[in-house]
Amino acid sequence: MKRVVTGNYAAAFAAMRARVNVVAAFPITPQTFIVEHISEFVNDGIMDCEFIRVESEHSAMSATVSASATGARAFTATASQGLALMHEILFTASGMRLPIVMPVVNRTLAAPIGIWAEMNDVMPERDAGWILAFVEDNQEVHDMVLQAYRIAEDNRVLLPMMVNLDAFILSHTVEPVDLMEPEDADRFLPSYKPEHAYLDPERPMGVGIFTPPEYIQEERYQTHAAMEGSKQVIKEVNDEFAKMFGRDYGGLVEEYRMDDAEVALLTLGTVTSTAREVVDNLRAEGKKVGLVKVRFLRPYPTDEIRSVASRVKAIGIYDRAISYGVGGPAYIEARSALYGHTDIPISNYLAGIGGRDVMLSDIEFMFNDLLKNAESGKVRKELVWINTRGVEQ
Amino acid sequence: MFEVRFHGRGGQGAVMAAQALASAAFSEGNYAVAFPYFGAERRGAPVLAFTRVDSKKIYRKTQVYEPDFVVVLDDSLLEMVDVTEGLKDGGVVVVNTRKKPEELALGENIKVATVDATGVALEVLGQPITNSSILGAFAKATGAVSMDAIEKGIMDIFGNKIGMKIAEKNCRAAKAAYDRTISADGRPREKEFEKKPKWLPDVKELPIGGAGVKMETNAGMIGPGSFLENKTGGWRTFMPIVENDKCVACQLCWYFCPEGCITMVPYDNNRFKKGIAIDLDYCKGCGICAHECPTHAIEMKR
Repeated sequence: MKRVVTGNYAAAFAAMRARVNVVAAFPITPQTFIVEHISEFVNDGIMDCEFIRVESEHSAMSATVSASATGARAFTATASQGLALMHEILFTASGMRLPIVMPVVNRTLAAPIGIWAEMNDVMPERDAGWILAFVEDNQEVHDMVLQAYRIAEDNRVLLPMMVNLDAFILSHTVEPVDLMEPEDADRFLPSYKPEHAYLDPERPMGVGIFTPPEYIQEERYQTHAAMEGSKQVIKEVNDEFAKMFGRDYGGLVEEYRMDDAEVALLTLGTVTSTAREVVDNLRAEGKKVGLVKVRFLRPYPTDEIRSVASRVKAIGIYDRAISYGVGGPAYIEARSALYGHTDIPISNYLAGIGGRDVMLSDIEFMFNDLLKNAESGKVRKELVWINTRGVEQ
Repeated sequence: MFEVRFHGRGGQGAVMAAQALASAAFSEGNYAVAFPYFGAERRGAPVLAFTRVDSKKIYRKTQVYEPDFVVVLDDSLLEMVDVTEGLKDGGVVVVNTRKKPEELALGENIKVATVDATGVALEVLGQPITNSSILGAFAKATGAVSMDAIEKGIMDIFGNKIGMKIAEKNCRAAKAAYDRTISADGRPREKEFEKKPKWLPDVKELPIGGAGVKMETNAGMIGPGSFLENKTGGWRTFMPIVENDKCVACQLCWYFCPEGCITMVPYDNNRFKKGIAIDLDYCKGCGICAHECPTHAIEMKR
């Protein structure tokens, strides 16, 4: 059934279709409607789950972890300050290898306080052991929440997963979304059968227990290997979803008009969508530009990005956050993956910080800059602040 | 593709109107997107919402800068905001006002349509919520979507949010507004719209850590105390009329006023008098004072 809905609705609806057993959440702009919609679904009797109202995000994540540790399929959602307040328990979730799924509506982390799109809330959590997916439209929000449980609950993975969507640009924007029928969702996503952690009075076990140095290093290796292994699972789940529903997102990355492209721009989130239009326009002018949508920052699509670099003369990375003193986090990741594998110019473009509109002309500037880098073989400017008053771009 | 910009105030439902328009266009086989731009989120503050419609999937995620159509839910905004900014030649402005389109000088090479959507809403819904009525006016003035589609859009967006019965009422309001909408060619502006300058400091001028002190800029006063210039009473629909003869100086209105707009008028010797004064520069017309007044000394009037 296709309906015109917001990204927040798409996330809440997908949680309902995933038949999650427990939702524990605390409202925060711009995530609020995810929680509101779920509480309505529960109230209306169309969603059968335990809805726990908690007093903070720290408690929301704690309750979600506990629920997941009993073998329930658990869900929560947050944004910005809420995610920061969860920080401590995020490590508990991944350390206990609990397949929690959490949409994060990416919003400015204060100060200064802002409610608009920025990815500086999720970037500090790159080391928390969560799979980090980034989506570009509301259909992908819906589809990714369903795929997320398949990925997270796979016995080769067993890691929690965040689905990142841009504040307002998706969360509060309506567009047509094919909302899944229950029988289709059930066919794609069977119920969760936990094997490693199942708190049950009949079968007592301890999870996340006090662990001396003899064991933690091996635990860390296990989690690292699981994150590496999730790459294969992400691709398999993507392919199966595509076969069943006809929507193929390409797995870890999606390449757009990359055949014979001389330069590639790597994008995260909704800027990808606008960039498609820019690529089409520039292609019509005969400029050989291509787009690579980075769908995951954890696990990082190292092989895919290396393959892209081997085919182009310059590469650029778009960021909606800044790691002070270095550059955009997505850029840091790409550069690290490419170290020793390429000598083409790599440049970083910061735009849309604090929710500033990323215009078609901004993205055009990025591509034209990349074409110049490709021609000269040199990086004109490593870190380019787009549209920043008083800063040369 | 056509693009629409909605001008409203927080609480008037501009966002729902934009969404219902998207749903309406979608019901006619189009792809459609609608999204808000919020400033500080609160009732009464000016808000923008956008709808973008195309026959194929829309990828552009930017705001709308060159709309084909503009919808104004509150005519008090006409003096505050240049509603025709970026409007394409041949574009249409749909305004909720009691005025006739000929009375509005919004510019040449555009069409202006007006409807008393507040009047329609009070009549049909019993509340001054104009977001459904204005959609009927939009359908009539632009022809970009059919009235049938508008009804579908309202049933979808309003129905799912506030219930089917209220949605049906809103459809009736939209139809009534459709019938009462009149259009005329735009008249040239009597004087150019004076755009209020915006304070846009560069990285050297911006106070470190956002720690701004009160200062005068070419955009007016910035920082603490800036509300002295930013009068917020303009978005009232109803105004409190006080009959001080009935006032017993109980101060309940003073306690309940969420905006701190009520002051007690003292005697000459500074003791309380039986009377209050309301600061209409900031009163939003919420009516709480009238509701709380035990002697019915305050009445809300349009």
